[in-house]
Amino acid sequence: MQGIIRTIRDGSGFDILLLLLALVYLVAFSAFPIIYNIIMSLQTVDMFTIASFDRPFVGLKNYYDILSQPLASTIFWNTVKFVVLSIVFQLSIGFGLALFFQQDFPGATWLRGLFLAGWIMPALVVGAIWKWLLAGDFGVINYILMSSGVTDERIFWLSDPDVALYAVIIANVWLGIPFNMLLLSVGLAGIPRDVYEAAELDGAGAFERFRSITLPLMRAQLGAVISLGVIFTLQQFDLIAALTQGGPANSSNVAQYWSWQLSFQTYEISLGSAVSVMMILFVIVVAAVYVRSTHHEHSY
Amino acid sequence: MLQIEIDNLNKHYGGFHALKNIDIAIRNGSFVALVGPSGCGKSTLLRTLAGLEKTSSGDIRIAGTSVIAKPPRERDVAMVFQSYALYPHMDVEHNMNYSMRLKRRPRPEIAARTRAAAETLGLGGLLDRLPKALSGGQRQRVAMGRAIVRNPKVFLFDEPLSNLDAALRVHMRSEIRKLHERLEATSVYVTHDQVEAMTMADHIVVMRLGVVEQQGSPLDLYDKPANKFVAGFIGSPAMNFIPVVVGPDGQSLVIEQDLAQPLVLNRKLNPGSRLWAGLRPEHLSFAPVKGDLALNADVESVESTGSMTFVTAGVASQQLVVAHSGRPGVERGAVIRLHISLENIHLFDRETELAVSG
Amino acid sequence: MKRTILLIIGLTITAIYLFPLYWMYLTAFKASTEIFQYPPSFWPSDPQWNFLEVWKARDMGRYIWNSLLIAVGVTTLVTLLGTGCAYVLARVRNIWMDMALFAILMMQVLPSSLMVTPIFVAFNQLGLLASPRFAVILAQTAKMLPLYIVLCRATFVQLPRELEDAALVDGSSRIGAFFNIMLPLAKNGILVTSVLIFLQSFGEYVYARSLIAKNELQTASVGLQSFMGPNANDWNGIMIYAAIYVTPILVIFMLLQRRIVSGLTAGALK
Ligand SMILES: Nc1ncnc2c1ncn2[C@@H]1O[C@H](COP(=O)(O)OP(=O)(O)O)[C@@H](O)[C@H]1O
Ligand SMILES: [Mg+2]
Repeated sequence: MQGIIRTIRDGSGFDILLLLLALVYLVAFSAFPIIYNIIMSLQTVDMFTIASFDRPFVGLKNYYDILSQPLASTIFWNTVKFVVLSIVFQLSIGFGLALFFQQDFPGATWLRGLFLAGWIMPALVVGAIWKWLLAGDFGVINYILMSSGVTDERIFWLSDPDVALYAVIIANVWLGIPFNMLLLSVGLAGIPRDVYEAAELDGAGAFERFRSITLPLMRAQLGAVISLGVIFTLQQFDLIAALTQGGPANSSNVAQYWSWQLSFQTYEISLGSAVSVMMILFVIVVAAVYVRSTHHEHSY
Repeated sequence: MLQIEIDNLNKHYGGFHALKNIDIAIRNGSFVALVGPSGCGKSTLLRTLAGLEKTSSGDIRIAGTSVIAKPPRERDVAMVFQSYALYPHMDVEHNMNYSMRLKRRPRPEIAARTRAAAETLGLGGLLDRLPKALSGGQRQRVAMGRAIVRNPKVFLFDEPLSNLDAALRVHMRSEIRKLHERLEATSVYVTHDQVEAMTMADHIVVMRLGVVEQQGSPLDLYDKPANKFVAGFIGSPAMNFIPVVVGPDGQSLVIEQDLAQPLVLNRKLNPGSRLWAGLRPEHLSFAPVKGDLALNADVESVESTGSMTFVTAGVASQQLVVAHSGRPGVERGAVIRLHISLENIHLFDRETELAVSG
Repeated sequence: MKRTILLIIGLTITAIYLFPLYWMYLTAFKASTEIFQYPPSFWPSDPQWNFLEVWKARDMGRYIWNSLLIAVGVTTLVTLLGTGCAYVLARVRNIWMDMALFAILMMQVLPSSLMVTPIFVAFNQLGLLASPRFAVILAQTAKMLPLYIVLCRATFVQLPRELEDAALVDGSSRIGAFFNIMLPLAKNGILVTSVLIFLQSFGEYVYARSLIAKNELQTASVGLQSFMGPNANDWNGIMIYAAIYVTPILVIFMLLQRRIVSGLTAGALK
């Protein structure tokens, strides 16, 4: 006992104690739920067995059931579209903005900071605002599109199954732009100015400088931002809940929302678990790639 | 009486063996300098003395008691860091008396001792300043003050002057040395600057790659370096080394690639053995000296600081630096004779690099 | 000249980006008939101040109180649990710490919407759903803790190790050095990160929606969602609700913007 007190006071026991405080919590409330999730995905869990500790084991049946549903492929492709399009636009717009605000003009930093308002707002509120912007009859976006002659007719963004997913993507891009811009700005600021000056003396034009200096030097940064983008996009739930709730007819439903619907709306909890397990695995793989890519950055 | 005894100390960082079988004994009241090139383990050794690093094996005794299992606060040592490590959120006074406050000394005592230390170091008017409002030299003094208010058994210094400009550094050397004498403390002083070590210490420990290469008084190390490394490290400018081979007679040295100029010594050496001959720049002269040997050399460059002149002279394919006080009146391109007295030639084995007496 | 043009372009881009926010405030100030005007007006012709009415009608006080309770609970718990861990991860470098940091980074990315299923079932079995706001605090703490640790660690990494060493040599214990030296010096970073955690938890939706059954315990985000309903057309009221909900968040964020941004970028990229 004396020894324990002593090591906590003066030795590495103090480190271990502090570390355990957080790690035990995370094991209990993060790691354990993942394991429990895997177990549930191999059992039958529904309204009747939810409270039971002794549920029937069904092996991979839930995975089979979920993947053989015709809905599964819709959801899969929706998710792919949601992630890929969100990232393509977040990244390119974010990169463009980062390059723009990199330039030297009064208030550049301050204006860039204003963009982060989009990032700090609760996604549900952002969803509410976009739902109003995109409203079919009185939405201002339709007004702008029609009065500027882009379309002749109203687009029913949220109730037309052909465009609902794109409506969600548009709102998600808006949400994601600030973070992409911020991280890419940090990367751009890290490229020494004299490299550009040297290239200019060598006769490289603006585009050539971007292609031969900016892009290669930003490789690690871009990798990190893309991985983070995938992770954040797969976290996106609130926006969908506010905008379309996956509808109409699942046309804007994506995996993370579907998993929640299975568990909390139709109470097919084990199916929800199965979807969740697959998605968590995917997210963890992406995160591992991300962590590796930031390590790369260190080495140069 | 021995104040600090380090016995067969070893320290590993994972697979890296940072300190290898260190044995050092430090007398009460002495000023010991740890020198060596950057990365040789000086700071690591000092930090193990302070208790900031765990040791892998071996023992450390301070005033006769083993402290190896004790945390820093039970060792009664004070330390001055290279970066000063002043607490940025405390003013000078609180920086200096933090240790006494931790020990819950009575307030009047804390105040009195802080004031005394501040007087000693000339910090009187600065007691309520934050570290960021001080100059480099003042910060250095506060770091010293923090150490001396405690009146500890042992002072540890880790390159305390290396962030100061040259003039202040020279001034602080003598200040620290005076303080050491006044406080009758035992000091261990880490530096990579051998001049600092030579001028300040009574005892110098030369380290390389985690090993103690040699220890002794400054002049011992200068006069009788135990190996080529110590010979090259102590003394400025550094000792010249030229590769030589002992002739068949066991007495003459033949300079490689310059067979024409054998040097005849009165020593008994192994014929044919390959050695380094070490010649200190200040021992080479342009005029004959007593019992000397002489070499023909071409003057390759002449640099003068006014009081000293450094001449680089080529002998065969070797370059020798000659330190001459005053102006020797030699010019680039001239052919000259370099003289050195016999007893000033150091010999080292080319395999083991250990000193060869013979 | 070039800089003026750039400034004008910059202002325009920012205005376009922030248009949704403008539209929220604009709608909130319009009369309920004006919002259904076509073409829509871009400035309120007859500004209204209906904030108090909506606040009362939607019982916002209760929702906001619940959100505050949860956000304060999460921030407190995260700060208490995470600060020490962040400090240790910054201070000790070895293979075990790298592994712990890696595990924490992995836990940072787990989406709430996927974690909520097992958490719901387990909490149900443990009887934690009887105090649902506490259950949300527990779940949201697990979500926020890794982010807090990663960002706070970046703060501690910046503190020179020698400061703590100096304290130890001066006679401090590890505990004393942590509380008297390291914590005061990391204060700003801890504060900013806590604010970030607070703001994020104040807007939390998934756990509240899934773990809280009783309406009177619900948070502001769920309250907004139920206000919107399937056939919502009181956009005037909804935007007033949204404006009341996000304005404090935006104000706090703008005040601390610089620090949050630098903390975030330091943490995210190290
Ligand atoms: N915490 C550590 N982990 C691993 N290696 C270390 C650590 N601290 C120091 N070292 C290594 O130990 C060697 C000695 O370092 P140090 O004692 O700081 O040298 P110096 O003589 O310059 O003060 C160096 O090679 C250094 O890289
Ligand atoms: Mg050192």
